[in-house]
Amino acid sequence: MKREPCFRIYLAIILVIILVCLSGCWDSEELNKISIVSGLGWDLDPDTGEVTLTYQSIIPSEIKSTSGMDGGGEQKGGSALRAIQLDQDTGASPYDVLNRFTQHGSRIPFYQHTQVYVFGKDGAQKGIYGFLDTQARNPVSRPNALIVVSEKKASDILGIQDGMENIQAFGMAAEIKLSAQFSKYPAVTRLDFQQRILSKTTAPIAPIVGIAEEISSQGEKVKRLRVMGTAVFKEDRMIGQLNERESSGLLWTINKIKKGFVIIPEASLEIVRAKGEIVPELQGDQIIITIEIDEESNLVEYTGHQDLTSDILQELEKGQAKEIESQVMAAVEKSFALDADVFGFGEAVHRKYKKEWKDLQSRWDEIYPNIEVVVKAKTHLNEIGDVRKALLKD
Amino acid sequence: MFRLLSKKLRRWQILSSKDQTQTKPDRSPVYLSKNLEGNLQILREVLGQSSDVIIREMKISSDSNVDAAVIYIDGMVDRNLLNRDILQPLMFNLQLIKDHIRQNHSSLIDFIKSSVLTVGQITGTEDIDRVISDVLKGHTAILVEGVNQTLLIDAKGWETRGIEQTTNEVSIRGPKDSFTETLRTNTTLLRRKIRDPRLTFQSLQIGERSKTDVAVVYIKGITPDSLIEEINQRLKRIDADAVLDSSYIEQFIEDNPISLFPTIGYTERPDVTAAKILEGRAAILVDGSPMALTMPFLFIEGFQNPEDYYAHPFFASLIRWVRLLGFILSIYLPGVFVSLKAFHPELFPTPLLVSVAGAREGLPFPVVLEALLMLMLFEVLREAGLRMPRSLGQAVSIVGALVIGQAAVSAGLVGAPMVIVIAATAIASFLVVPFADIGALLRLLMTIVAGFLGLFGMIIVQLEILSYLAGLRSLGVPYLSPVAPLNIRGLKDTFLRAPLWAMDSRPASLNSPDMRRQSPDQMPQVPKTESNQGGNQ
Repeated sequence: MKREPCFRIYLAIILVIILVCLSGCWDSEELNKISIVSGLGWDLDPDTGEVTLTYQSIIPSEIKSTSGMDGGGEQKGGSALRAIQLDQDTGASPYDVLNRFTQHGSRIPFYQHTQVYVFGKDGAQKGIYGFLDTQARNPVSRPNALIVVSEKKASDILGIQDGMENIQAFGMAAEIKLSAQFSKYPAVTRLDFQQRILSKTTAPIAPIVGIAEEISSQGEKVKRLRVMGTAVFKEDRMIGQLNERESSGLLWTINKIKKGFVIIPEASLEIVRAKGEIVPELQGDQIIITIEIDEESNLVEYTGHQDLTSDILQELEKGQAKEIESQVMAAVEKSFALDADVFGFGEAVHRKYKKEWKDLQSRWDEIYPNIEVVVKAKTHLNEIGDVRKALLKD
Repeated sequence: MFRLLSKKLRRWQILSSKDQTQTKPDRSPVYLSKNLEGNLQILREVLGQSSDVIIREMKISSDSNVDAAVIYIDGMVDRNLLNRDILQPLMFNLQLIKDHIRQNHSSLIDFIKSSVLTVGQITGTEDIDRVISDVLKGHTAILVEGVNQTLLIDAKGWETRGIEQTTNEVSIRGPKDSFTETLRTNTTLLRRKIRDPRLTFQSLQIGERSKTDVAVVYIKGITPDSLIEEINQRLKRIDADAVLDSSYIEQFIEDNPISLFPTIGYTERPDVTAAKILEGRAAILVDGSPMALTMPFLFIEGFQNPEDYYAHPFFASLIRWVRLLGFILSIYLPGVFVSLKAFHPELFPTPLLVSVAGAREGLPFPVVLEALLMLMLFEVLREAGLRMPRSLGQAVSIVGALVIGQAAVSAGLVGAPMVIVIAATAIASFLVVPFADIGALLRLLMTIVAGFLGLFGMIIVQLEILSYLAGLRSLGVPYLSPVAPLNIRGLKDTFLRAPLWAMDSRPASLNSPDMRRQSPDQMPQVPKTESNQGGNQ
């Protein structure tokens, strides 16, 4: 009679029971013991060097009641916060603040779902390295969380109820992603930001969010969030910003154009497909960068009163190319003025001229403003819609 | 510490095995004497004073000195047959028998057999044990004074259930008949499906007291001989008091003594049994059980359903995936949910986490407890619904639906997402019937482990189960074949169900000596005639 298998199973059962009981549930994080942090704000007092962190946490019970049957009943008007709670603490470093925070919260902060890191502009100009290191070192932080620079203090931005989302930080993230999707301003994740810092020559960028006052339907003044520019960093310090036009130029160059519109006199064109490429060339000591942009678009708006003949279509294409080129040149000029390589020209040179790069890299800050940039935009009009002849003629 | 434990366990096993070493008492056969009275005496002693044992004594010759007796068990014989074809001929042919006795007394029994009785199956025997067992089987025994032989007449007849519609394995398109409790009816059902002369029913009796007829069914030349031999060996080893159902046999002949997964299949459908036999398997029919056992039983068979073969291949394949998915869901879903909630909230998509966290607010128990509570509640309801007298069943389902569905949530005992998870699990668990029992166990295990160790623990347990499954065998055939060990040709009937014309060989893992099932090139084709040029009418 074989008894071995039987015996082994007993042993296995005993082992499993011991294993399970000894380990216990030390790692368990019950959902009602954690507070889910949706957004994290970072401010630095330029004088004292003290860090203030603002936690935006989700109040789950509020979510429950709004998604339930009586949801939406208690419409809190205007800018009142829904389903979130703000907490603030100040300390010497981010972890010093974190450490303090556990003293007055009832739940453990849970950072795994944090969607945005908001940096106050004043602090960002001093450098955000400390915070970035904390996030990069800690595996609980999402690498795809968005980096945002706030025009005022981060704590102000996180406190503004905006849009249709219950959870403000999610709304903010959605707003930034939407602006990136329509090629207005870049959406920068923590990972993108880190990679740009690591590349030594490339300047990190981040969208800037500010507060705009609008008139609500009730006639009151309400505060709304608005993406207003692109912050340019040198290493971890913010040194300047790009406006709307310059931001678009940047996006054309770094091949981040997805959807969106090109507006030229008398016509608007919807971008269907776009491709930007940086082609460097080394001529002796001079670096020539050619930015090649390939674009296809549809005509969505034509306010001129002429029939769309092929001549006019060609003109539109040309006008479009000119507009793109001027956007890119605006960005290039601004970046030269800031002496910050936001496009990653350095990386492009590095890829093509590996041998020469060692020498160039050390002098990059001097070289950069003297680069010769040529922009070549090729545009193609795909469709012009159902109207070929102008409805109204001059 | 483990060594100590293992020693204790081993000693405990040896001790417990010592008690079972009694052997079957060995009796030499007892033969009939020529004395009728003596023979009857012995039979009366053995059969006792049971009221259903009828011993009818009579005189079968006009010479009053030839006595005879008919022995049968009331209720197990066909009374019409007994009266018309046994008693009547015996008692009405007095003169005939008298004449015969004058000529030759010793062959009287042969004479009765050949010239008097008008029934089909008659055998003669001298062995008194055989007489007793056959009488208990429902045969009628005739004993005659002065003859040390008895005639056993098969005149069985008792109340039986007719062939009814399948109740457990329902199919829409296939045949609707199912096995009954009578062995002979069941063999007939199979014989009618397979008219091959090589279809063999090999009978034997198992059970010290119940003496149950068991038939091993196979087709010579298709089922491997080694399989039949192995089954016979295992059946012969059984020394049980009684075999009341085919599941008794199953538990005695399984490969793995305490197998978690079934290694022997069962079905109530004659068509399924026939199909399995034709694939090179063997079946066991047990008298008194409407379920046929089929073996070897492989893991993938749990996901096959008779309907698969009657439905279109594409649909059958889809449904097979649904079953696989259902099985996986039914085992892992509560565990995954618990571990995500308790250990890895970062793995939830953010909006889902927010709503789950909202539902979790204010609940008194940890997630594990909540899940276990709901799982147990479901098992309780299921069992109650199953065992309750049918007239009370509705009450259970109403209470169950209310308790599980609404009240538990609104009372703040469990969260709504948990209810959905458990409900989905419960429904999914019924998709794969053969593994429904083990599924319930694994589900509990997974949930408990998830509560302690999260996904990490679940992966460990899963690996353990997988290695266990890979090591399991059903009558020597690897349980996970044809997937592991991989057999590409055998995959035609696993994750996808190929059209019947494409399945031209029997499953290779079953080692059938005759692999060819049908000719391989039977794909239906458009006939190449002129009249068909248009392609359609």
